[in-house]
Amino acid sequence: MSLLHATWLPAIRTSSSSGQPALLVWADTWRVATPEGPGLTPALHPFTLSHDDLRAWLSERDLLPGGCIDATACLTLPSRTVKPRKSRNKKEEPAVEPPGWTGLPMQAGEPIPKQTEWWPWQVQGLAVEASAATEWLSRLPLSGTNPDLADELRWWSHLQRWALSLVARGRWIPQMELSKGEGYPHRARWVPLLNREEDRRRLEDLAASLPLVATCALPWREPLGRRSNRTTRLRPEAMRAANPVASCRPRSGRLRVATLLEDLVDAQLRMDFEPSTDGLDPLLTLWQEALGSDTGVIEIGDEEAERLATASHHWREGIAGGFAAARTCLELHTPPDGEDLWELRFGLQAEADPSLKLPAAAAWASGAEMLQLGEIQVDQPGEVLLEGLGRALTVFPPIERGLESATPDTMQLTPAEAFVLVRTAARQLRDAGVGVELPPSLSGGLASRLGLSIKAELPERSRGFTLGECLEWEWDLMIGGVTLTLRELERLSGKRSPLVRHKGAWIELRPNDLKNAERFCGAKPELSLDDALRLTGTEGELLMRMPVHRFDAGPRLQSVLEQYHQQKAPDPLPAPEGFSGQLRPYQERGLGWLAFLHRFDQGACLADDMGLGKTIQLLAFLQHLKAEQELKRPVLLVAPTSVLTNWRREAESFTPELAVIEHYGPRRPSTPVELKKALKDVDLVLTSYGLLQRDSELLETQDWQGVVIDEAQAIKNPGAKQSQAARDLARPGRSKSNRFRIALTGTPVENRVSELWALMDFLNPKVLGEEDFFRQRYRMPIERYGDMSSLRDLKGRVGPFILRRLKTDKTIISDLPEKVELSEWVGLSKEQKSLYSKTVEDTLDAIARAPRGQRHGQVLALLTRLKQICNHPALALSEGAVDDGFLGRSAKLQRLEEILDEVIEAGDRALLFTQFAEWGHLLQAWMQQRWKSEVPFLHGGTRKSERQAMVDRFQEDPRGPQLFLLSLKAGGVGLNLTRASHVFHIDRWWNPAVENQATDRAYRIGQTNRVMVHKFITSGSVEEKIDRMIREKSRLAEDVIGSGEDWLGSLGGDQLRNLVALEDT
Amino acid sequence: MTLNNGNTNGITAIGDDGLGQQPWWVEQWMELINGYRFKKRLERAWGYAREGHVTSIRFEGRRVHARVQGTDEAPYKVKLWLDVLNDEDWGYVLEALTQKARWSAQLLAGIMPSDIERAFAASGKRLFPFKLQEVRSECSCPDKANPCKHISAVYFLMGDRFSEDPFVLFQLRGRNRTRLLEDLAEHRRKALAERAAAAKDEKKASTPHEATPMPPHAAVQDPALWWRYNRSLDGDLVVITPTMEGDTGLDAAGELPLAEDPRFVEARSTFLNNLKAHGQASAQKAMLQAMAAGS
Repeated sequence: MSLLHATWLPAIRTSSSSGQPALLVWADTWRVATPEGPGLTPALHPFTLSHDDLRAWLSERDLLPGGCIDATACLTLPSRTVKPRKSRNKKEEPAVEPPGWTGLPMQAGEPIPKQTEWWPWQVQGLAVEASAATEWLSRLPLSGTNPDLADELRWWSHLQRWALSLVARGRWIPQMELSKGEGYPHRARWVPLLNREEDRRRLEDLAASLPLVATCALPWREPLGRRSNRTTRLRPEAMRAANPVASCRPRSGRLRVATLLEDLVDAQLRMDFEPSTDGLDPLLTLWQEALGSDTGVIEIGDEEAERLATASHHWREGIAGGFAAARTCLELHTPPDGEDLWELRFGLQAEADPSLKLPAAAAWASGAEMLQLGEIQVDQPGEVLLEGLGRALTVFPPIERGLESATPDTMQLTPAEAFVLVRTAARQLRDAGVGVELPPSLSGGLASRLGLSIKAELPERSRGFTLGECLEWEWDLMIGGVTLTLRELERLSGKRSPLVRHKGAWIELRPNDLKNAERFCGAKPELSLDDALRLTGTEGELLMRMPVHRFDAGPRLQSVLEQYHQQKAPDPLPAPEGFSGQLRPYQERGLGWLAFLHRFDQGACLADDMGLGKTIQLLAFLQHLKAEQELKRPVLLVAPTSVLTNWRREAESFTPELAVIEHYGPRRPSTPVELKKALKDVDLVLTSYGLLQRDSELLETQDWQGVVIDEAQAIKNPGAKQSQAARDLARPGRSKSNRFRIALTGTPVENRVSELWALMDFLNPKVLGEEDFFRQRYRMPIERYGDMSSLRDLKGRVGPFILRRLKTDKTIISDLPEKVELSEWVGLSKEQKSLYSKTVEDTLDAIARAPRGQRHGQVLALLTRLKQICNHPALALSEGAVDDGFLGRSAKLQRLEEILDEVIEAGDRALLFTQFAEWGHLLQAWMQQRWKSEVPFLHGGTRKSERQAMVDRFQEDPRGPQLFLLSLKAGGVGLNLTRASHVFHIDRWWNPAVENQATDRAYRIGQTNRVMVHKFITSGSVEEKIDRMIREKSRLAEDVIGSGEDWLGSLGGDQLRNLVALEDT
Repeated sequence: MTLNNGNTNGITAIGDDGLGQQPWWVEQWMELINGYRFKKRLERAWGYAREGHVTSIRFEGRRVHARVQGTDEAPYKVKLWLDVLNDEDWGYVLEALTQKARWSAQLLAGIMPSDIERAFAASGKRLFPFKLQEVRSECSCPDKANPCKHISAVYFLMGDRFSEDPFVLFQLRGRNRTRLLEDLAEHRRKALAERAAAAKDEKKASTPHEATPMPPHAAVQDPALWWRYNRSLDGDLVVITPTMEGDTGLDAAGELPLAEDPRFVEARSTFLNNLKAHGQASAQKAMLQAMAAGS
């Protein structure tokens, strides 16, 4: 797979170049390459796509930028040293001296070697001129990861978004840029204004997070020259002179990012600027025309240029300063007790980290030397301070008074001046690039607003299980960290001075404060547990328009709140009585969590990673209810057809006390009366999504105790019929009692914003509100723009109802064995079933009649054919191609698809083993079609060199294939494939040692992940019986393991029939 | 800006109309001209200036060179200059300027301190000419009177030039902006270094200051930084909205500080209007582009 990158090409000014900056778009891909080193000029990057391939690749994805040209640039990239392989052909003498260093450029995501070198590489790509680049960058996704796009493209898209915001807010000013020397004309430029506090912070953020590949280009001249309209190739000496082998060391900084931003903003404003020059004098005419021209070049005399430059700089200086590492900072201090003059202290503050501050005295004392602000060095601190004070006094004139001495460090302000500073000037000063620090009680945040301090506790008899119940509570008004009574507030408001002192703290009263407080006091509100959960859940929540500054919960309420907000996990529950099996510690915690939310009547979504045992936890929960005598009515569990068998099997083995039936198949009850009869004494009813939809009216007639949906992503589309049916079922009519709701899924549901609404609508409809509201408030901001604050808020809201643990979590990994074996029980499709039965019937008779000598071979052929049918009818029928209905014909394939979806989504890698090469080919074709990506297949016919390439690619390519098919025999030994964390045994082999050997490809020394081993077993079929034999280690199994397949031939008629006959399950 | 014919208050009429908003040093300059006795000549000079007879004004070093198209075919050459302060005088001025942080702060912010003359008083000299006679001038015209109407026309336009750049006055006195700010910084540094040294001696703290070398970039330790970017979009950039009326950079910057060409009185406002119209159109376009992002 290729990965797209973007690097800025700074303007090179030569006699032949236009001197315009451009964006280089290039892509690298993994391939086998020989190490290279710089010779005369930098070596060619061996992994980049050629110009033509890149164009095709971009067009295919609708990403081809408008107006781009083929280009070659020289990028400095981290590189790994690789010694050249010795040439086998000894006769061939190297024509040139071998380079002093050889190696390969590294690719994103590649493991970092111990020693990294930085070398320049010639990279082929497309150069996009600035204005086209801005349009192209605007179209890139702002959030999420895209397998085709490198991470730095997201940085670019964020930078461009900022540029758009600056243009939209009009934060720019035209400037005149003087020539910096020969071949560099005077230019008219549009320059962004970064004086606003938010923009300054953004510059620091983007500079600190700059992925260096974005700016790693060296000026590079292509080896093509132009002479009298003919393109000529430069001679090597000329090339060497034009492009010395040099690498740029990693650097970053606000100036580089500011320059990029300037280029983007300039390009955007330059477009379509062609107003009439009527009424302009000659100088402004020239300037205006140059501002609208492609290059900005302005043909003007040096003296006129200088005049224009001075004027335009003055124009700009009044509002924006330069980009220094530190800025002047003013600190306001409240008056000491009994006095009323405020103190304003001068100082310096680091731009990158405003908490790094030094008083002015230190700046004065450092004289001409550098000043150290934490890790940041400030050149000429006195000058920085004075320059900032100069800007400060244009905004806030009282400062003039404080600067009468040579080295001022503090001054006094009257209360009126202090108020102006707090209210308006502080913001203006920050916009002018001067830091202002106000006392915390006045700093303008939420804490400085009038709000509440609350104390609450659960009522004596309450267990804290109902959300609507009222709490015992008391409250005080609070502002700036101090509490006050309504009477006090009235008194302070009467003072007419906006800044007042109360209990030792200075606070700012606003016009509406008294009114809000009076309304609140008059309303005598009650506080419910629901309110308490909301107020303590996310910051900035209001109670009757009043912010809550402090919430003291009594000990009993506190423990409920903590558990609810998952600050403290609910107490784990041990495996209930009657549960035959063991729960791992994290599963006990999961069980405790399910029981906890159940007590609150809240729907729960258990979203544990695949392989952590969601099924077991849910069964344990049902058994827990049963053991507590709380399971009084049947529970309905909806799952994809492909896992119904699995559910049934797991329930049989873990919770034998639960009476389980399937509502499935043509013989299922079809009237309410029949259904009711069928449900007598039943605890758990399994049904499919298809039937949920088809039989929804019938199912609705029953009084369910709870509804569980497995593979809950099935209801992700809120408009789909099955989602509606699930939702209707979760909300019983008036005549019926409440139902608990549980959803199970292995996908990272909390990250799929679009699917969350439907899920929560099933679980707890009130949490996310109506769909329209949800779309406006959360979905658009998060999906389109990656808005973190909305996402945080959303996660805060749904967090209590979703439990997701990954097998990589530290607390989980210690609970898990290094190798987790999972049995995937699957059924048979209708076609498989009839083909299977027919084959058994036909062949058994034939075998019985066959002469003894041929029986052995015929039995083996039968078993092989049956295993093929369990995989897919197409395999048994020797069909060579994959058609549209391919998936539907095999239950095993359907289940495999579901699991692989999760594997791929999680970014994991998997090995898939089969013993049938034909099945491997069919599967390969189908999987490549299904996931639109390459799936290598290593089998007996694969050439040795190809084999190594497949393995290398899987192990080393950072964006290599996620799925790797292997035939059990060819791939079972001698390969090291430790990048896989999943192993699938699609069909069973008689000998577990062979399976284990294959599993060990992934599970070896060097493997840091837990390995999940999925073994597919078709229930009722020969596969199940093989599995049972292996597991029970029966005498038969001993024979199997001991003597290969020879024993099969000697099976008696009944024994053979038992082994192969399809059991109705 | 019109001049009321025959009205002796004609010059102040200019002031009321356009120059009232001017910085104080420009007003002071205009007052200087206003103090001139021959009003009729001034009126003619103003007419000259307004009709664009002054074809160029250049500040070359300490002198002003101008060309004024008179009745003759070839334009007359006008030269203006002030008495230059010598290095010693400047030494006194700079010394005085470092005494108040405000003076440095204002000069750095491009503001002419209103009490700047107090710093010059230290040298016994002045920044502003006290009388028009202190402004030396020459004109190549046959008119014997000084100032002639050509010189007077240049006077008028110089006021505008002063508002463009107050440091022009310093330049006429012998120090251009860059030089002045550099010299001032140098002086300040010296003064600060002396104070710092004195303070150190007092404390007897004799730890020598060692410049810490720049640490290597983090990517040297962690080459994955070459590609890594895992931040999410700044919350404030999620929704891109236009600014409030009157809150753009152009609004804050105000009038372009470029002297008006009297032949094109509307030029600056037309230019600004063009920019503002373009700003609005671009803002609209940027918002649409932002809304379409990621879709």
